[in-house]
Amino acid sequence: MSRDDSLEKSLKETTAGLIQYSPEGLVPFGPVHPALKEPEYFKIILEGEKIVQVIPRIGYAHRGIERAVQERTWIQAIYLVERICGICSFSHSLAFVQTVESLTEYEVPRRARYIRLIIAELERIHSHLLWLGLVGYWTGFDTLFMWIWRDRERVLDLIELITGNRIHKSYATITGVRRDLPENIERHIQDAMRYLTERVNFYKMVVNSEATILTRTKGIGWISPDVAVKLCPVGPLLRCMGFKRDVRVDDPYAAYDEIVPDVKTSTDSDVLSLINIRLAEVEDSIRMILEAITGIPTGPIKTTIPRTVPRGDGMGHVEAPRGELFYFVRSEGGNRPVRVKIRTPTLANILTATEMLKGHTLADVPVVLTGMDPCFGCMDRLTVIDLDKGKEWQITGEQLRKYGIEWYKRNGVGEK
Amino acid sequence: MMTWIFQLLVFPGLTFFVWIAFAFEWLERKTAAKIQSRVGPLTAGPKGLFQPVADYFKLIFKEEIVPRYSDKFVFLYGPPLYFSVPTIGAAFIPVLGMTGVLSHTYDLLFILFILAFSVLMASILGYAAGGRYATISIGRLVLQYTSYEVPLILSILAPVMLSRSLSLSKIVESQTNLWYVFYAPISFAVFLIVSLAELEKPPFDIPSAKTEIVAGWMTEFSGRALAYIKLTKNLNYVFLSALATTLYLGGPLLPINIQDDFIRSAVNLAGFLLKTFSVGFLIFVIKSALARIKIEQATSLLWTITTPLSFLQLLIIIILR
Repeated sequence: MSRDDSLEKSLKETTAGLIQYSPEGLVPFGPVHPALKEPEYFKIILEGEKIVQVIPRIGYAHRGIERAVQERTWIQAIYLVERICGICSFSHSLAFVQTVESLTEYEVPRRARYIRLIIAELERIHSHLLWLGLVGYWTGFDTLFMWIWRDRERVLDLIELITGNRIHKSYATITGVRRDLPENIERHIQDAMRYLTERVNFYKMVVNSEATILTRTKGIGWISPDVAVKLCPVGPLLRCMGFKRDVRVDDPYAAYDEIVPDVKTSTDSDVLSLINIRLAEVEDSIRMILEAITGIPTGPIKTTIPRTVPRGDGMGHVEAPRGELFYFVRSEGGNRPVRVKIRTPTLANILTATEMLKGHTLADVPVVLTGMDPCFGCMDRLTVIDLDKGKEWQITGEQLRKYGIEWYKRNGVGEK
Repeated sequence: MMTWIFQLLVFPGLTFFVWIAFAFEWLERKTAAKIQSRVGPLTAGPKGLFQPVADYFKLIFKEEIVPRYSDKFVFLYGPPLYFSVPTIGAAFIPVLGMTGVLSHTYDLLFILFILAFSVLMASILGYAAGGRYATISIGRLVLQYTSYEVPLILSILAPVMLSRSLSLSKIVESQTNLWYVFYAPISFAVFLIVSLAELEKPPFDIPSAKTEIVAGWMTEFSGRALAYIKLTKNLNYVFLSALATTLYLGGPLLPINIQDDFIRSAVNLAGFLLKTFSVGFLIFVIKSALARIKIEQATSLLWTITTPLSFLQLLIIIILR
């Protein structure tokens, strides 16, 4: 049985299973829901409070960015891919830029690699703190949410100081970074990091001792690593199952070969271990930023930016805060890419998260589903799942065009 | 007769309690904001004091959407009825002296009925509105109610046993020397915990957990109906704080002896407000410092911890008397 057949079979079983349940047992979760910041739809089938099946339906935030990138030059494309995700925007531009660099012979200056590390780690801190705040929100602990987001402002201020922007940093460019570090930045970074170390220690104490948080996270979302690893999770979700995988160590980029991250793992594979792994990563990021800022070499921050990129296929990946972010770029020697394919960590993780939910109660949905730190805006690439027909297919641009023409012919719109 | 109607509808009855309810909402939002290092309501009135009033009138004038599959009669006329529940209950609370407006010999029994009826009204409203979130929410609401009713009644029994009376005015009267919170501290703590469950506040905001089931049984309500429901929830807040004041903190009485009737009433009013707002403030702080627990955890907490504790308190009272 080929892969497509088995997929179709499992989807048929799923849709057949849906019919036995009464409509009352089916609870819609999204596309607009207080727990989700972005539109995504999950059919949750319940027996009482217990979850039997979770079916994600993706595609609400699809904006055709992969196609749009092909219409832009290499430099313009950097700013477009950055807008795929607001939280890990630098990871997207960095992954794209590194993929393009792998096609050229230009060397990235050492100082630029250090600066890239600093920004990437600041972004990791900001992303992890944002997520931890949201854990507070999902468990109904609004005070924790507000406190953590207040502390996250310090990181955003630093990012603004260095790059000029808070969210979409527009900082990475092919062969380097766009601006040098401002003066006195070392002092600002050290102040902020000292403050953050203190706060992270406090939050560590809070999440590991506050009874209501512990009851909501400890042992929740447990999944057998043998089952989970077949669903290909990435990032903290994979590390909380005891697998020591981190692109920063496995395939170092930026300055990660000189400042080596300390990869934390856990074998609990529950939401509490996710929290602890992310907090440990924040601590590690603080250490790496301080190391990088004290040992930063002098020199240029970029070399000549090429207009065209030699013919070839490039692949690159970075460890975004949520996990491995993968880019494929094909160049035919022109001033714009011919094809760009992006695989974001959320797409890799979403099946694991839905699997983690089975057997838990409805109250666990927000904290487990979003425990993988989903970013649906990132995720919605060109995959179409039509559950009503029980089919899934990948559409290429040409097929989509034909499908569109046929649809309009069938519905008689084109003839009028 | 006219005095009685005035007392019932204006002071210290309906209107008075509605204004306290608005003040409570302001205090709740301001306290939460201070704890969470935000500013809270700011623009409407001095320090945003009229923000709850503004919100209420805004909701009143907004469009009311009636779901197609709802029970339209209950959906439209249920919220005002729900609103009447705590207002009637509040009329039993002694504010100016030792007696409330509607005081009679067994009024505590009626209060218990009112507390149960409020949950019943919520379930009826939720089922009338329909929707899956409401269905789940009401399941949780009723389960939570069955868990907290026993400790609620047991904790109310402590003042009853101490004063040997089922009348609120008798209970207040017998607290002239020493408040019952000193005789029955465990019962008071249980009452506060149970109040959080009754008010659907963290950690017991399970029936209206917004990240799970949107707004629970209130999801489908909008406009005028939602305004009534929100006001009722705030009134419940006031009602339970006032009840805690009456049962455990000596009602409106302050340890000052004044002969003049008018001044004594004014002092009593001040005492009532002070105590009620303190109890409310205590509840706000507790709820700000906790995360939501799950329904099975709430049930087991209420049955296995608060219920034996209330029994223990009753046992202590029986032994000591």
